[in-house]
Amino acid sequence: MIKNISGNEAVAIAAVNAGAAVITGYPGTPSSETVGSLWGKNIEGVHVEWSTNEKVALEIAAAASWANKRALCTMKMSGLNVAYDSLVSIAYSGCTGALVVYVCDDPGVSAGMPEQDIRGFAKMTDMPVIDVASVDESYWLTKYAFELSERIQSPVILRSVTSVALSHSTVDIPDMMPPAQAEPHVYKDIEKFTKAGAKICMDQHKRLIESLEIARQYMREDVINQLCIAKDTSLGIIVSGVCASYLDEGMELARKHADFHAVSSLVVRSTVPLPTDEIREMIENCDTIVVVEENEPYVEHGVMLEAFKLGKKIRVIGKEDGTLSRIGNFDAMSIAVAVLTALDCEIPSEFTERLGAESLCTKRPIGVCAGCPHRGVFMSINEALRRMGIKKDEAIVTGDIGCTILGMSPPFNTLWTEVSMGASSPMAQGFIHAGIKTPVISTIGDSTFLHGGIPGVINAVQNNVDMLTIIMDNGWTCMTGMQVNAGTSKEYQAKEFHNRVDIAKIVPALGVEHFAVHDPYDLEGMTALIGDMLKLSGVKVILARRECAIQAARRKVKYGIMSVDQDKCTKCKLCIMKTGCPGLVYDGSNVHIDKKLCNGCGICKSLCKFNALVKEEI
Amino acid sequence: MSLSIYLTGVGGQGVLTIAELIMNAAMRRGLYCNFYPTKGMAQRGGFVKAQLRIGDDAMAPEIHKGGADIVIAMELSESLRALDYLKPDGDIVIYPYRWLPTDVMLGKADYPDEASVMEVAKKRTEHVTMLDMTLLPEGCADNIFLLSAALKYTALSELFSSDELASEIKTRFPKGIESNMLSFEAGMRS
Ligand SMILES: Cc1ncc(C[n+]2csc(CCOP(=O)(O)OP(=O)(O)O)c2C)c(N)n1
Ligand code: SF4
Ligand code: SF4
Repeated sequence: MIKNISGNEAVAIAAVNAGAAVITGYPGTPSSETVGSLWGKNIEGVHVEWSTNEKVALEIAAAASWANKRALCTMKMSGLNVAYDSLVSIAYSGCTGALVVYVCDDPGVSAGMPEQDIRGFAKMTDMPVIDVASVDESYWLTKYAFELSERIQSPVILRSVTSVALSHSTVDIPDMMPPAQAEPHVYKDIEKFTKAGAKICMDQHKRLIESLEIARQYMREDVINQLCIAKDTSLGIIVSGVCASYLDEGMELARKHADFHAVSSLVVRSTVPLPTDEIREMIENCDTIVVVEENEPYVEHGVMLEAFKLGKKIRVIGKEDGTLSRIGNFDAMSIAVAVLTALDCEIPSEFTERLGAESLCTKRPIGVCAGCPHRGVFMSINEALRRMGIKKDEAIVTGDIGCTILGMSPPFNTLWTEVSMGASSPMAQGFIHAGIKTPVISTIGDSTFLHGGIPGVINAVQNNVDMLTIIMDNGWTCMTGMQVNAGTSKEYQAKEFHNRVDIAKIVPALGVEHFAVHDPYDLEGMTALIGDMLKLSGVKVILARRECAIQAARRKVKYGIMSVDQDKCTKCKLCIMKTGCPGLVYDGSNVHIDKKLCNGCGICKSLCKFNALVKEEI
Repeated sequence: MSLSIYLTGVGGQGVLTIAELIMNAAMRRGLYCNFYPTKGMAQRGGFVKAQLRIGDDAMAPEIHKGGADIVIAMELSESLRALDYLKPDGDIVIYPYRWLPTDVMLGKADYPDEASVMEVAKKRTEHVTMLDMTLLPEGCADNIFLLSAALKYTALSELFSSDELASEIKTRFPKGIESNMLSFEAGMRS
């Protein structure tokens, strides 16, 4: 069937069609639509879930693959850092069914977070990693990854990148058709499923390395990596991942500036294990080899190593010689630049000349949406600190991952740090132990708290640290596209019998003595509460609870109708300056409410000293 | 045959819908299409871009600098971000809506005017169309207006007829046909 779908959806359909019985994941751009596209669909025999975090997601999928089932686990690259501890152990044990771990890297950083290359993890773990180059391959290679995993009895990483995972492409792939499921079967095998003792661990390590060698042979037989040796040339090009999709276009671009014969080419779809036979054949046929891969030069290093083993001196054009960058994403021009360099041609000026138009472009700091409850928290923190006589930039407020981090931007400028999911509270504790005397506050979203924020609070309680943590509970995992989490209201949970985990019950159970729940739309109340809490010693937690404005707006929730009384408005624009709310507009002469954006949260209202902002209750 | 289209605007404007409508029309023609949207974060008001590549064969997601046949910009300042991607002599159509960040609204930051955008754009190509927003009938969708203007002023017309795109719009938005057709016709007359 011809259809137009995204790379993530293609992976989801392929997993279902490959017979995956368990599909888990934790949201993270650009991987989220894999579980997202299956969410809410009742697929016979397939369990789909948004897990609490990536480690949990992986462990659930792994156990299913130990019960002779096929399982898929999805996450963004940062997620693999969280899951990695278990991944290594699981790789050592292998599987009896099949386990595919789908991870998206983000060269060019369109989703924020480090530009890490998870192929490094795969190398470190001796796990096969299959790199997809297109939406089409996202389907076929997912299916292949399941087969490979089952054949080698080891988990396989399927790697995509933002430009493939989020691309919607015309593809000819089957519709979703879940095959019938066989009965699960788990056998007890201490030597496979535990790490009890050095011998067991080293035996598992040996098996893992052997399984990688078997994977290499299978992939050679199945022509997963495509080698094409051209006659009459000593130039070869190796492309991996999405760079393969730019090959023809890049060559065409290079040919506009230089005359050259067809070159030998190798499309590498498995960085681990590298297709060493194919690489050797290319080295034997070429004197110069261009390697184009995004992020780290893993394939390039492999080429150099094989040349060394063969005792042949070749010229390698890639990252080590400085032609291409380890930073950012690639396109056809990257290929053209590398090929022209290999041909010793000058890089045409049109490749590098820029109009400089972007420098005229207005900066758009990203802020929270109109009516966002987080706005109330940032403004209350700022105001509470001001009332305590603490100057801006004197009190450290640590941030965490999610829309909650937008408090680092103007007009709030509240937050100081962003490290990784759950780091806000431990970072705050570190500042306090370092001797910072001004109040230290940590902030965290609901999903992030449940994901990795709880241990930090436990640590603070144990050490009885004088700190305030604000949990900003908007009911959803928002920044990644409003996914359900354990704290989401019961009516939106996947199935009727699912439970909701109430953060308001977790916090006191952690031993936090000073705990309060408050509505962030109530600026005055929230400000007073923060001020009061900061006077207490020990660990204090405020649960700022109000649903994400966008999610509420999808159900047409409005909290009031706002208007500006033009007779009273002095155009001081304080409301705009303090809230930065897109619902407030100054058109050069008057302040208005943008009725489409404003949800009547009322946050701006209390700021106006002239009572010009009027809220009509509904 | 192949066509690379680079679209820019601000989140919440409906830029991605323009790209989706073109993609659907291409699909119906049996053409290959790759649509790669970049939305940034969940919030509104941030920079949004989409790269659309249409052809007889599979095409890669990213358009390289100087590789776009057409730029469709839905916000004045954001049109500047797309210029380096346009082929010399490619077509650019700009809907000069000004989505002002707070700092500009408060007079703390600059915002480029139409003349200066026009001046840099002209350094890239002769084929710059700055649309007259007053031609859009009150209450009608500006992204549909921009799409039909793009059909009128760019190489998009080499691929699609106005009937094709109009029917695509009707299929996608069965509810607002009348008002969307007003936008569409206004774009054709722009
Ligand atoms: C380890 C890891 N997994 C996933 C992500 C992706 N991610 C970024 S923001 C976010 C959502 C946070 O949700 P929440 O804490 O509820 O805050 P909200 O966005 O709703 O304000 C996620 C999952 C990440 N950055 N790191
Ligand atoms: S998506 Fe929701 S939580 Fe995120 S900024 Fe917008 S309103 Fe706030
Ligand atoms: S009430 Fe004020 S702060 Fe709240 S959404 Fe409307 S304009 Fe924005």
